[in-house]
Amino acid sequence: MAKPISPIKFQAGDFKSDLKPIWCPGCGDFGVVTAITRALSNIGRPPHEIAFVSGIGCSSRIPGYTTAYGFNTVHGRSLPIAQGIKLANPELLVLVASGDGDGFSIGGGHVAHAVRRNIDITYIVMDNQIYGLTKGQLSPTSQRGRKTVTSSFGSLEAPVNPLLYVMGYGASYVAQGTPADMTGLGKIIEEGIRFPGFAFINVQSPCITYGTEDQQLKAHKTNMQSLEAMGHDASDRARATELAREYGTKLYTGVLYRNPNPPPTYGHGVTERQEALKQQAIPRHEILNRFKPTH
Amino acid sequence: MSEDLIIGIAGSGGDGVISAGESLITAAALEGYHCVMTKSFGSQIRGGEASCRLRLATRPVLNPNGPLSVAVALNWDDFRRFGAELPVEAGTIVIYESNTGVDPDKLPLPGVKPAVVYSVPISEMAAQHAGTDKAKNIVIAGLLAGWFGIGRESMLAGIRKKFAKKGATVVEGNVRAFQAGLDFTAANPLPEDRKLSAPPSGGETKLLTDGNDMCAAAAIFAGCTFFGGYPITPSTEIMQFLDREIWKYGGTVLQAEDEIAGIGAVVGASFAGKKAMTATSGPGMSLKTEILGLASLAELPLVCVNVMRGGPSTGMPTKAEQSDLFQAAFSAHGDCLRPVLAPTSVADIFGITVEAFNLAEYYQTPVIVLSDQEIAQRKETVDPIDTAKFPIIERRHPSGPELTNYARFKVTESGISPISHPGMPGGNYLAAGIEHNEQGRPTASGELHARMNEKRFNKFNPLKSRRDLFTVAGDPEAPIGMVSWGSVAGVAQEALRLALAEGLQVKLLIPKLLYPVAEPVYQDFFASVRRGLFIEQSHQAQLYRIVRMYVDFPAGVKPFAKSGSNPILPSEVLERLREMVVAIQGNNPQQPVAVAD
Repeated sequence: MAKPISPIKFQAGDFKSDLKPIWCPGCGDFGVVTAITRALSNIGRPPHEIAFVSGIGCSSRIPGYTTAYGFNTVHGRSLPIAQGIKLANPELLVLVASGDGDGFSIGGGHVAHAVRRNIDITYIVMDNQIYGLTKGQLSPTSQRGRKTVTSSFGSLEAPVNPLLYVMGYGASYVAQGTPADMTGLGKIIEEGIRFPGFAFINVQSPCITYGTEDQQLKAHKTNMQSLEAMGHDASDRARATELAREYGTKLYTGVLYRNPNPPPTYGHGVTERQEALKQQAIPRHEILNRFKPTH
Repeated sequence: MSEDLIIGIAGSGGDGVISAGESLITAAALEGYHCVMTKSFGSQIRGGEASCRLRLATRPVLNPNGPLSVAVALNWDDFRRFGAELPVEAGTIVIYESNTGVDPDKLPLPGVKPAVVYSVPISEMAAQHAGTDKAKNIVIAGLLAGWFGIGRESMLAGIRKKFAKKGATVVEGNVRAFQAGLDFTAANPLPEDRKLSAPPSGGETKLLTDGNDMCAAAAIFAGCTFFGGYPITPSTEIMQFLDREIWKYGGTVLQAEDEIAGIGAVVGASFAGKKAMTATSGPGMSLKTEILGLASLAELPLVCVNVMRGGPSTGMPTKAEQSDLFQAAFSAHGDCLRPVLAPTSVADIFGITVEAFNLAEYYQTPVIVLSDQEIAQRKETVDPIDTAKFPIIERRHPSGPELTNYARFKVTESGISPISHPGMPGGNYLAAGIEHNEQGRPTASGELHARMNEKRFNKFNPLKSRRDLFTVAGDPEAPIGMVSWGSVAGVAQEALRLALAEGLQVKLLIPKLLYPVAEPVYQDFFASVRRGLFIEQSHQAQLYRIVRMYVDFPAGVKPFAKSGSNPILPSEVLERLREMVVAIQGNNPQQPVAVAD
C-alpha cells in the first residue's frame, strides 16, 4: 500500500464497468469481481490509480469488468507485465488476476520470481481445477485421475499445490477464499492489497460448466473451514506450510500466512538506489562524455 | 608510409591479446587516428582462443576487414582457428612467439610466404623484465608501439595507471617489459615504408566505445527509464551499461527470469507511461515475439534491440550475422507491421537508437533495432556527436477535451490515437491483446477488426517517405547499384570508394529503415540501375528477398551474400563490380554475371 486512505468515499459500483460479463451464469468469478470491487471501495484509491493486469482465461476477463486501467495481456505473462508497471510507477496500486492454467501452468515459471522479488502487487488466482475457456481440458490443479476431454482415461499426474508453491518461495502473504463466503473473500483481498509486498490469494472459484459437483459453491459452503475460527496463528510459518499441504483435500479459508516481519519490497530497494545515485547523474545530453578515451 | 594499418593478434584466452589491443586502440585514439577494433573468441569463458583485429588509419575507417598488415601469433594453433578472420598474405608482417618452435621459413600458413617475419621471445622477455609471463601483452604493446610509432608516452602512462594499485615493483616491471618491446624493434627496425603515417591533426578528441555501450547511452539520452531483459551474448553489455547508469536518472533495470518476462516487464512499463527497452539476441528474440504482437495490438511503444549472431538456434553466439531480418520483419503472428532499423556502425547506433525511441513513442509501436555482434562488440573511434541535433519525441497524450468520453484507440486521420496511462484521471481504458473497438472494448466483429487493422497499418505510411533513414552515395545515374545494410554497409562504402577511384559508374544505397520497405526510395534508386548487388552477411540475403517482395528491380541485381563470420572484403566486392561493368559495356544485359543467386 503506497498511499494513505484518501478522504474520498467510494462505492463498489465506482469500480464496476458497464461491460457485461460473458461468463456462464453461476460462474464463481462473478463473486470474485464483486469481492474485488468491494475491497477497492474500502481502500480508497480512485480507479485511475489502479492498474489491473491479467493473462488469458475466463478469470482474465476481470480487468475489463472494472473501471481501473486494465491490461488483458497474453497467456501466462500477467505477472512480469504487472511487475514492469509497478516498477515503472510505484505510486500505482497493481492487481493481477489469473487462473490455475494461466498462473500455474503456462505462467508457472514467473510465480517463483514474483514471490522472491517481493514487488508490491496483489496476485489473485481463480482456481477452478479446469480449463474453462477452451472447454474443459485438464488443468495443473486438476486432481490425479480426473477425466476431461484431454484426459479421457483419467489424469496421470499429480496436481500443483498453489499454496505450498508460494509458501516454498517465501511469500509473505498467502490467503485462500471462495465466493461461497463473500465477506471473507472481500476481507482477504482487501488485506492483500494493503499488505506491503507480494500478496497471493488463491480463490476457489467454481466452474459451473466443467467443474465437478464437489467443487461447486454448495459444496464449498459445507466443506470450507475458516482458519480464523480454527484459531490458526497466521504468523506461524511452519503451521501454515503444514496446512498448505492439505490443499486439494481441505478447503481452508482466510489468511494462511502473514509474515509478521515482511522483508523490504523490491520497489523500496529501487527507490533507495535511485535516491542514492541521482547525484552522480551527468546531464542526459552529455552522457557520451563517458566515452572519452583515457588510459 | 602507410595510411591504413590492420593488425591481427591471436592467442589463448589469458594471453592478454584483447588487453594489448585495448591499450593500442586507446593510445591511437588519443593521438587522433581513426580506429576500429573487433574481438573474436571461441565460446569458452576461460582459455580457448581469443583474437582482435585492430585497424588504424589516417582517414575514417568503415570496417575492420581486409588482409592483415601485421599478424601477431602467440600460438599458431589458436591463430589458425580464426581462419579467414585473420587473413595473412605475402605483404603481411608476421610477428610470433619464438617458443612456438616454428622456423621463420616454415610458418604454418599453407600457401603464403610472408616477406617480413619476426620471431620474438615474447614470454621470455615478459618473464625477464616483469617477472611474469602475464606481461606478454605489455611486450606486444611495446613491439607494436616501437615498430609503428603509436603512442609510446600515452601507453606508458596507461601502464603506470593500470598497475598503480599493485605497487611500484609491478609498475616498474611492466614499464621494463614495454621498454623491452621497444628495444627489440630498435634492434630490428622495420622498413620505413611500412610505418604508419602521422595522425590527422586538429579536431576534438574522438570518443572511443563499442556498439552495445553506445546503444545503451543513446537509450539514456532518449529518456529511457526502464530496461527489462535477460543476459544473452552478444547483447548483454547493453543491460550492464544501463545497470550502471539508469538508476541515476530515476530508472530501473530488471534482470528478468527469462526473455519473455524481460519484454513483458517492458511492455508493462510502457503501459505505465515510461520509455522502455529490452535487448537480446536471436534465441531471445524468438521467445519475445508473442509479446511484440501484444505491444503492436495494444499500440504500446517499446524498443527491442536484437544484437544478431549466427543462427538458427544457438548457432554461432560469438559471431556476427545478418540472418534475423525475416524474423524482425515478420516476428509475431497476425497481420502486423513493426518498424525495423539497422545501424551501420558504432557511431550510427546512437542516432538509430534515438530514432527507434522516437518512432516507438510517435507511432505507439514496438520498434526493432537490428544491431549485430560486430557493431555491438567492436570498439571504434567516433567523432564527437552533437546531441542537440537529435530531437526527442514524446508520445501524444490526450488533451483535456479528448479525455471526455476518452477513446483510447480512436480512429484518427493519422491513425495515431492519443494515449493515456495509469495515473491519468479520465484516461482509464482496457489495454488488451484482444481485438477491440475505439474505446478498447473487446470485439469479435470482422468489420471492426478490418478497420483497426487498417488504422494500425496506415499510421506507418509516412515512414516510407523518410528518406533521411537512407544514405545514397556515388554516381546518381550509375547503371550499377549496390545495396547494403548494418555492419556490412561499411564494406560496401569502402568498395564504392575504390570503384569510384577506378572511374567505375557505381552507386550505393544504405537503408537504415529496413521494414516497412520504403518502395519509393528503392524505385528511385533502381531507376538507372541495370545490374547490382545486395551485399549481405547471411546465407539467404534476406534484405534482397524482402525488398523483392515489394519492389520490381532489374533481374541483373543479385545478392552477394555470405554466412556469418566469413568476412566480405571490399576487394571482392570491387571484383564483382568490375565484372558488371564489363557485362554492361558488352552491351548485352542478358549476359550472365558471375554472381551466385
